[in-house]
Amino acid sequence: MIDNLMLGLETAVSPENLLWCAIGVVLGTVIGMMPGLGSATGVAILLPVTLTMEPVTALIMLAGIYYGSQYGASTSSILISTPGDSSSVVLTLDGYQMARKGRAGAALAISAIASFIAAIISLIVMLAIAAPIASWALNFGPPETLAIILLGMATIVTFAGENMLRGIIMAAVGLLLSMIGIASGFTTARFTFGSVELLSGLEFVAVMIGIFALGEVLHQIQRGGEKPIRAGFRDLLLKKDEAKRIPGPALRGTFLGTALGVLPGAGATLASFMSYGLEGRVGRHRKELGTGAVEGVAAPEASNNAAANASFIPTLALGIPGSGTTAILLGAFVIFGLQPGPMLFEQQPDLVWGLLVSFFFGNLLLLVLNLPLAPVFAQVLRVPYSYLYPIIIVLSLVGAYAVGNSLFAVWVVFFAGVLGFFMKKYDFPAAPLVLGLVLGPMLERTLVQTSSMGHGNLLIVFERPLSAFFMVVAILAFVVPPLWTAIQGRRQKVQTQKASVDA
Amino acid sequence: MTDSTIETPRARSMPKTSDLVGTGILALVGLVAVLMGFGYGFIGDNGQIGPGFMPVLTGAFILVASLAEIGRLFLAPKDGSTAGLGGVAEELSAEAAAAQAAARSELGHDADGQGSGAQDADEERDVFGRTAKQRNRTVPLVFAIILGAVLLTQVLGMLLSLALMMFVIVFLIEKKPLVPSLLTSLAVLAAAYLIFAVMLGVPLPQGMLGIL
Repeated sequence: MIDNLMLGLETAVSPENLLWCAIGVVLGTVIGMMPGLGSATGVAILLPVTLTMEPVTALIMLAGIYYGSQYGASTSSILISTPGDSSSVVLTLDGYQMARKGRAGAALAISAIASFIAAIISLIVMLAIAAPIASWALNFGPPETLAIILLGMATIVTFAGENMLRGIIMAAVGLLLSMIGIASGFTTARFTFGSVELLSGLEFVAVMIGIFALGEVLHQIQRGGEKPIRAGFRDLLLKKDEAKRIPGPALRGTFLGTALGVLPGAGATLASFMSYGLEGRVGRHRKELGTGAVEGVAAPEASNNAAANASFIPTLALGIPGSGTTAILLGAFVIFGLQPGPMLFEQQPDLVWGLLVSFFFGNLLLLVLNLPLAPVFAQVLRVPYSYLYPIIIVLSLVGAYAVGNSLFAVWVVFFAGVLGFFMKKYDFPAAPLVLGLVLGPMLERTLVQTSSMGHGNLLIVFERPLSAFFMVVAILAFVVPPLWTAIQGRRQKVQTQKASVDA
Repeated sequence: MTDSTIETPRARSMPKTSDLVGTGILALVGLVAVLMGFGYGFIGDNGQIGPGFMPVLTGAFILVASLAEIGRLFLAPKDGSTAGLGGVAEELSAEAAAAQAAARSELGHDADGQGSGAQDADEERDVFGRTAKQRNRTVPLVFAIILGAVLLTQVLGMLLSLALMMFVIVFLIEKKPLVPSLLTSLAVLAAAYLIFAVMLGVPLPQGMLGIL
């Protein structure tokens, strides 16, 4: 462990890596802050720019964008009541209320401090358990891997949004898109409709750029942006009482976020909602929630940062992304010729540990940047979107060409952009689609291998204890939530009827 | 996944035609995948899964889930979401949406010095200075301009056609003054050239002109 940390430290503190880590977190903060531009968009647009870098440097920068945007997204929630990313939606409740009461600076400070606490604790958890999980996963056979992929898909579908059916549809569409081209393990070309370009499949990054950059930007135009308000920064210093109220909710949020982030498929958005809900039940100041309570900022902020960090555990150790953005990062690994999963820890220890240790420096820098400079960063919210979005479109199209080295990739971006726009417009979640797209080839490979192991009998996944356990958990994750909602709904209905009869 | 999710109307009503058509198309995609999957071979000669196994299964999932979704659109009771988070996320999403909407309407008062209450919701202008109707028209227009730019790549080359696209969007769609529109387009052209052609060494298509 110590050896690994030293190895990671050696990699992370090289001037080049430190510089790109700093650039990544600053870009992440700015991108996260802009309404409609989340970490997924940022990583997708900037991935092509990292192509000539060393893999470890590129990944340090891209990861910096990811966790940096978690800090930035809260700023726009607090100052303009518009979340910069889905994981900061909850912050529009208490964060914005604090800003309205003239405590915008305090809200930003609470958010930065809670984020930092969460980042450091979740990083320690990550350093402690990622490697053991990876070495445990080395013993997995195809049935176990198959079961764990299905578990990841089940959790992401369950947690995708308010409509589980749409989550299922999108995950399946993602899988279907991943099947275009020559089937892995077979020689048959599928869904190519005679196109030679489609034989090698869809360029993953191009699809992501289309959905997250083009689709998001155009959806933002249709929604219409919000007018930024001027929030006062007179009081950037926290009051003693406010400072005292941070650690409790921040720690609760951190533990909840870390636990949820480790689950393949569940990400920062869910964690922030759940931790806010938890504060509403156990927090000492729960009655103040919604009116600008410190807990309403500290808990969800800690939680989404912890989850963002922890989602790297399944991504690195199992090769199964914990969120939409880590799915894109997984695509980045593949572009650099690396295969995330148990073997990565053995084959590329300097990369893995260097990446993880860089999180510490990145988060430290984010705290230093966000505490005194939050008002400066907030000026980004005043950049006219009319100039910004065409620039994003240009970068997206050239970037896709750079990755795919063909005009075909640009067409993929265009059509994925149309798809992404309609998905946003009609409320179809993107995260399950990305996960389906990324995991499709791996899922099919393990299916073929499992089928071969069982001589055509796929039910052998239930015959091996570990894979059977994962399958049961996956089935429960898939079935219990809708049942629970149905039962709750019925209970509410009965109560309403009872109340009306009483009245 | 943020705002669109939380703006979903919750009251029971007849589903929108666009929702039905969209979900119907997805059901059709699922059906086609199932049929094509059977064509690829569901089970191989050796009794193991064939190349059509995944397409059939995935297509079936899309088909069944889309049909169920269409059914839900018709039958969903008030507050009839099918999510599984014990209601916490939904309630908070709705609360956050209401808070954002309240903030927005307040901002309308503060920033413009005019009440939005007197205006029809459709007539409210956003930061782009557009009404809802204009916003709806802008999206297909921008898509058309992007399409035109990609097609023009063969003639002008990638960077020139994208810079032209940028200029058209900023000047004609966003109605910004000529000089700033021109300058930003040229700046983006220069930046893209430096990053992609010089730093990354990407051989970008130069089209028939062969300039950039």
